[in-house]
This record gives sequence, structure tokens and C-alpha cells, in this order.
Amino acid sequence: MIQKSSHTGITRRRFLKNGVLIPLALAVAGGSISTLFLRRADARGFYLRPPGAVEERRFLASCIKCGKCAQACPYKSIKMAGGEAGIGIGTPHIVAREVPCYLCPDIPCAKACPSGALDKKLEDIEKITMGTAVIVDRESCLSLRGLRCEVCYRQCPLIDKAITLEPRHNQRTGVHSIMEPVIHRDKCVGCGICENACVRDQPVIVVMKSPPVQKDYYEF
Amino acid sequence: MELSRRDFLKASAAAAAFAAAGAPLLGSNNADAAEAGIKWGKAPCRFCGTGCGVLVGVKDGKIVATKGDPAAPVNRGLNCIKGYFLSKILYGKDRLTKPLIRKGNKMVEASWDEAMTLIASKFKEAIEKHGPDSVAMYGSGQWTVFEGYAASKLFKGGIGTNNIEPNARLCMASAVTGFMTTFASDEPMGVYDDLDLGDTYFLWGANMAECHPVLFSRIIDNRLKNPAVKIIDFGTRRTRTSQMADQYIKFTPQTDLALLNAIAYVIVKEKLYDEQFIKKHVVFKKGKTNIGNGLEDKFKFTDDPKPMTFDEYKEFLSTYTPEYVEKLSGVPAAKIIELARLYADKKRKVNSLWTMGFNQHTRGTWVNNLVYNVHLLTGKICRPGENPLSLTGQPSACGTAREVGTFTHRLPADMVVTNPDHRAMAAKIWGIDPKKIPEKPTYNAVEMFRALDRGDIKVVWTQVTNPFQSLPNLNRFRKGARKGDGRFVIVSDMYPTKSTEVADVILPSASWVEKEGVFGNAERRTQQWFKMVEAPGEARSDLAQTIELAKRLGHGNLFPYKYIEKEMWEEYRQFTGGGKDLAPYEAYVKSRGLRWPVVNGKETLYRYAEGYDPYVKAGEGIKFYKNKKDDGRAVIWARPYEAAAEAPDKTYPFWLCTGRVLEHWHTGTMTGRVPELKRAYPSAVCEMHPDDAKKLGIKNLQKVKISSRRGTITLPVDLNGRGKAEKGNIFVAFFDETKLINELCIDAYCPISGEPDYKKCAVKVEKA
Repeated sequence: MIQKSSHTGITRRRFLKNGVLIPLALAVAGGSISTLFLRRADARGFYLRPPGAVEERRFLASCIKCGKCAQACPYKSIKMAGGEAGIGIGTPHIVAREVPCYLCPDIPCAKACPSGALDKKLEDIEKITMGTAVIVDRESCLSLRGLRCEVCYRQCPLIDKAITLEPRHNQRTGVHSIMEPVIHRDKCVGCGICENACVRDQPVIVVMKSPPVQKDYYEF
Repeated sequence: MELSRRDFLKASAAAAAFAAAGAPLLGSNNADAAEAGIKWGKAPCRFCGTGCGVLVGVKDGKIVATKGDPAAPVNRGLNCIKGYFLSKILYGKDRLTKPLIRKGNKMVEASWDEAMTLIASKFKEAIEKHGPDSVAMYGSGQWTVFEGYAASKLFKGGIGTNNIEPNARLCMASAVTGFMTTFASDEPMGVYDDLDLGDTYFLWGANMAECHPVLFSRIIDNRLKNPAVKIIDFGTRRTRTSQMADQYIKFTPQTDLALLNAIAYVIVKEKLYDEQFIKKHVVFKKGKTNIGNGLEDKFKFTDDPKPMTFDEYKEFLSTYTPEYVEKLSGVPAAKIIELARLYADKKRKVNSLWTMGFNQHTRGTWVNNLVYNVHLLTGKICRPGENPLSLTGQPSACGTAREVGTFTHRLPADMVVTNPDHRAMAAKIWGIDPKKIPEKPTYNAVEMFRALDRGDIKVVWTQVTNPFQSLPNLNRFRKGARKGDGRFVIVSDMYPTKSTEVADVILPSASWVEKEGVFGNAERRTQQWFKMVEAPGEARSDLAQTIELAKRLGHGNLFPYKYIEKEMWEEYRQFTGGGKDLAPYEAYVKSRGLRWPVVNGKETLYRYAEGYDPYVKAGEGIKFYKNKKDDGRAVIWARPYEAAAEAPDKTYPFWLCTGRVLEHWHTGTMTGRVPELKRAYPSAVCEMHPDDAKKLGIKNLQKVKISSRRGTITLPVDLNGRGKAEKGNIFVAFFDETKLINELCIDAYCPISGEPDYKKCAVKVEKA
């Protein structure tokens, strides 16, 4: 059954609205945190793609915009991009704050892909990398202010692997510990459940493009 | 004396106290506060038994913000995520604002007069036709002290029935009977300061990381400062607490009884006990064994304590060798020996902490006794930094349900209806005929709703609680409430709940700072707050509702107060001398709470300890002075291991355990109205061990049908969640009103405490 709602991303109204917003966002790119909150396409042009998506340029070249991945998703996490996506119009992506990827163990979205834009051979959902969660607004993070929140940590499907809690002394009260959620890039798959669950009006933890693996010149 | 509230406020000089903490009192003429446009007042948090202090900011008659109270010793300005959203719990869209009366299948708006006239007529009719024991009040550990006191006074002293119970029966009753049987006085000797001062913490059936989050972060901070600190988590489920503990000791459900006896066995065998302490402060007793599980309606049990010698106690322990208990519990014998030695280590300051894993237990009283045994054997009790501490789940389970005594068998301050002297004292304070208070307790909570189902109780009024989601074996009680035939259910609440669904009359209630109140937390701290905002629409406080019924039943003379709260407090205070002393009302207005006994304006940190407790004389050191019949000694009880009421078998091969998550509180009626918390944890899941799931061919997130002999629900499986079920166990949280897991729970209870076991019953799990 084709879900009509999967395609409502492309409306004239949104096209016009985003047509203005995105160039603006790009204009301030290169530092401003605020642009990161334009989650449909942030300042770095990052789209959270479904599990198994190949590298972005290859993805755009292969995706035939058929919407089969979106149909296969039992949670309606996958949406087809609207006009703001430029050449990516009609491609599948996930808006974590609305519905994140719940990491189905049988990965139905990737299996449904006929074009190779999503890797059908993907077997272990914990081995994918859609992006990496980052705490982008430390001042607004309740856990870092000492409150016992840590919702991102407890809701992480890779709890104690992708996010761990690192306690440290709370100077302000003198008797409590601040439980800092620490994200481990090599384990975080970028599902966006933390971003979705964050209790702040603007999520302080968001999924971003995974930074490239760096070469070390030092033995730790 | 004519004393208006306004006069009192002026006289109490409360404004000064608040200004000192940077929080001007609501209603005072503080210029800084007026400038900001927000007026701040103090209150304890509305949620758990920790009792964190918060400052409540009010503007234009609405709460616009809350903050952790930096002057509150409990939390020093911190809160958990529920406390952070306190300002939202009163403002859910579906707040009840008018009384509703059932007309057929519809609930129809009515005036207060109409609703109260109907309620009073139902009470009168039932009392006339079937006697006073056909009407009942089911209240709460979230009642303010005043609400509980008024209800108890009306039912026991006015209507003349002991049909009053709090929901604390479902969460704290075993702790109470544990205290009463071991020390003859309810509530702990220790305080939260022990979380900073100790170095060894044994947690039993307590997921502190999620359920007492602010207290847990204190233990963790203690460990950061002192690397010698050890946290040992005994449990049947790997929780966030286990994750942060130094050791997680998993055991087969119900074998905590055997484990504690094995620890005592090692301590005795290796002579690690404190002989002097035992000689001076302890007696040994045994009670009945094979005591049943309260599964039959009208179950009755009376223990028959018999004294025994230390040698006889040693003989009793001889069964519980580490090797034998290893077979029962799955905990290696060597580990049991190691932990017993740790418990007894003379260089260590040892604390035990527990909550529902112990209390919601068919042998809840016994297991509470057994943990005290270990502390009494080693003398690690009543000293700064080393104590057993029973944690509580509700904001005033201690202050109201236990101290006011809103249980069927209780009167205020450790007194009981079965004792003629206690009844006489209550009657004197209440100004009634002593014959009015019945000498026999009637129903515990489960029995109360069984009686409603049978039709023995006709009218039941519930306040500040949600029994038709929170009772075990829920199907029976939900059906029972709607059986008709003269049954009449009144539910007072702030929101529609699973309980208002079965109500004949729904009364809209004021909540938290929409009324003046006092709560008492788990460390004996009594905390007061003022009314800060008006309740919406026609909502009224439960206190006003109870007094309105009293007037209509002709018992208005029991409540002759002008400034109700203050005068009622001073009346209630007359019950509380001799070690449970409470201070005059002003003291609580001015302070961030005081820990009783408060004598000559001074709070008490450590009960029964010389230099702390004013009732312990110089030279006595430690004196369990409340236990007069044992000469001021505490009791070490020989309590055996006995099997659970229902254990897994071929048809129902899994243990089901239920509990809470950090984001939601109890049945979720408040936290479920906070969109941010709802988003953070939207619905219940079934935690299962990955190996069990694999065997059943179930993948993560797949839906499963869970069935017990009592009910069935369908839930998605969570194999990677915050809680990791052990093999053969599943866990489901009970906050989700769309998934009533309590339909599956067994209504077996501890025969001594009457508290049901929500942690153990047998279920099967199938692909849905």
C-alpha cells in the first residue's frame, strides 16, 4: 500500500518556504549552531538517510526515489524529501525529532531498496552509520547542569555502548555527581532516538554527519 | 483564640526565612520579587519519597517555573527530570474542573451540592442497611498530612469504621511491619547524610539510579571522593543501578530470604558479629512458619512470636550454608562468604538500602527483618554513616500514611486500634466516646477491593490514588467495581484516570500547591508548604471534600477549625510525643523541614543513639527504647526461606517483575500529561533476555503476547533497553494506562504486612 503521506514533503508551500530558508542557512554556515536546528538540511547539507545508505553522492546518483524504503518502514520514520533538498528532491530521509529510526533487526527499508542506494546486504543493524549524535548545546543540557535527566542515555538502543554516563563531582551542591552522557562515535549509529527523546524544546543532542576517522600520530 | 491565616503568616515571620534563601514568600511585599513579576514559595516535590525541596514561581495566578531549592538539605538545588517539569503537572488539557455524576454510561456535570448530596445519601443508606463497615475510604501516601488525618478522624472517630487504607499498603506496608516487629517503632534510625558518610552500600531490590535519582547521585559522588566506597547491587534484573554499582549480584527471585540468612550464617560461623552489641541490645525470636500467601478472600494471619537464645538462632541458621544457598539463589558460595565478610568488616561503614524488591514480597516483613538481623549482628546501626535505610516511593507515605496512621489497624504515631489505651488516647484528643473507634481492624487494601467485589463493601471513596490501575489481579477489581447491586465508587482526582472510568461520581481535586500541605519523606523530614495558586474551575482540596462529607453525615463537629491546617496540626501533634515528637506548625513554615523527633526545637539525626536522640539517656549508648516489652532491645528474627506464591512452571515459564522508570511516576497520571516526558518514554515495553527471545524466535521490537493465569497483554519486546532481564525473567513498567500489566499480577500478599507481591508471578510469552 502506498502511503500518501510519505510524499507530502513536496508541496508548493514548503518548496517556497524552504527555498528561502536554505540559502539563508547556508549563508551563515561555518559556525552558527542555530543553523543546525534546520534539521531537514542543516548547514552542512546533512540528511539523515535510512539505514544502509551508501555515501551521499553515490546515494543521490543511485536513488530512484521510488519510496519503497518508506513503505517498508513500520514506524513511518522515512520521509521523502521536499523541495529544500535541491537535487535530492524526492529522496528518502529521516527527521529524527519527528520519528527516529528504531533500528529494526531485519532492516526492511534496506531490503526493499531496488536501486542499491541502500545496501541490501546489510545484516547487523548495530554496524550501520547514518550519522553521529552530538551534544550541540551544552549549556542547555539538563544532565550537564547536574539534573538527573540522562533521557538520551537511557533511551539509546545501544546504551552503554554508543552513549555512556561519566559521573563527575558537582561543585555547586558539593554532594552530588553530574552524570555526563558521553557519545562514542565508533558505536553510535545515528538512529536519532536520543534527539527524538531529548526533553528540551530544541533538542540539545542531535545527529550530525559522522566526522571522518582521523589518523593518530601518538600512541594512547 | 481567633487566629486567621493572615495573622499567622505575619506572626510566623516566614517572609524573613524565605528572603534569606533568595526566595521571598508568596504574598509578602518583597520588592525584588515584585519587580521580577514572579513570586517564589517553597514546597517539597510532588513525586517520590525522596522529598526534594523546590521553589515554585507564580505569576498571574499560574505556576510559571520551578527550581530546585538551594536551601533544601535533601537536594541542595537539584531535581530529577520529573521535578524539572513540576510546573507542568497541574496544567494538563484534561484537568477535571467540575463534579461528574454517572447517568447510565455517561458522566454528567453536576454542582458540588448535587454531588455531595448524592454521596452523603449513599453513605447513609449503606451505613443504615449494612452497618459502618460497608463504607470505605481508600487514600494515599500522596495525601497531605491534613487530608489523611481528616479522613482517619472521620472514618475511625466519626463513622465508626476501620475501613480506611492508603495505597501505601501496596508499597510500604512491609517496611512498616519490618520496623514494628524489629524495633517496635516505625521508620528508620538513619538519614540521608549516611549517603555521604558511609563507604559500603548494599542495595536490595532497589533501582535507585532511576527511582531515587537524586539520592543515588549522592552515593556516586561519595565514591568519586573516596575510592574505597563500594556499591553492591543485589537484584533480579540488571538495571541502571547495577550498571554503576561495583558489583551486581543476580539471584533467583524470592531467594533474598535465603541469601540474607546465609550472610548471617557466615557472620556467625566466622564469629564476625559484635558480641557486646548483641548482649546489650538484642533479643532473638522466632515466629510462625509456612504462613500462606493471602490468596484466599478474608485471609487472616496472626503471628505467635516465641523467644529463643543466640544458640537456638545459630541452630536455625545452620541450614543456610553458602553451598545450600548457592543452589537456591544462583549466587556462588564464595561470593556469599565474601559479601558477608564485607558486611561485617569492622573498618567499613556499612549501609543497606531497599525499596519495592523487599517490600512487594509475599515475605516482605521477613525480608525486612532479615536485613536488620545483619545490621544488629554486626552492630552497624544507629551510627553516623552506617545504617539500614528503607527508601520510600511516595512523597508522604511516611508523613501521612505511616505517621498519621491511615491504615485499617493504625492510629497516629505507632498506635493501633487493637490497644484500648491507644483508642482511649485518640478518643480524648478527638473529643469522642472511646467506644466509637472499633477495636478490630477490617480490610487491608487488597481485601478492601475484594470486599467491594463480593459486595461486602458498598461505598468506596478513593482520593489521590489510582487503584483501578495499580492493584494486582486488576481484572477482578475493575469488574467488581461495576457490578452494581448497590456498589458506589467515588473517585477524587485531578485528571481522568483508569479509576475515574469505573466511578459513579468523580470529584475534581486541587493538587500540590493549589492547597496548603505537609508531607513527610523517607528520612523522617516533615516539610510544609502554602497554597500558591487557585485550583482550576470548581476543583477543591481533598481535605475540603472530606470535611464536606463529614458535615453532611452529622460529623461536622470533628472539624471545628478556623485556620484548618494549623489547628489540625496542633491537634495531631498531641499524639506524637515519646520519640515521634513533631514541632509546632511555625517551625515547619520557617524551615526546609525537620527530622523527627523534634524536641525543644531540635531535630534528630540518629534515632536510638546517645547524643542524637533526646530520649536516649547519657551512658546508654544505643537504646531501642520504643521496644518496651523487650527491655529496650531490638529483635533478631529467625525467618526462613519460603517459596514464592507462584513460580514459573511448564505452562507459565517466566517470572514477571513490574516497576518504574525514571521519566514516569507510578500510574503516569501526572507525568503522562507532561508532553516532554511522554515523548521521552512514550509507552511500556517488555524487557527480555536475548537468549530467551532467540529461543522463542522473537526479534527486538517484535510484539509479544504476555499471559498469566489472570490476564493477557501485548507489548513490543525490548532486548537492548535500560533494564536487562535475566534469563527466565521479564520486566514491564506499570505507568502505561493503555497497557495494564497489573492485570497479570497475582494478588498474593505478605500475611503480616498485607502488601502484595508485584515482583513475582508466572507468565508465558508468545509471538503476537
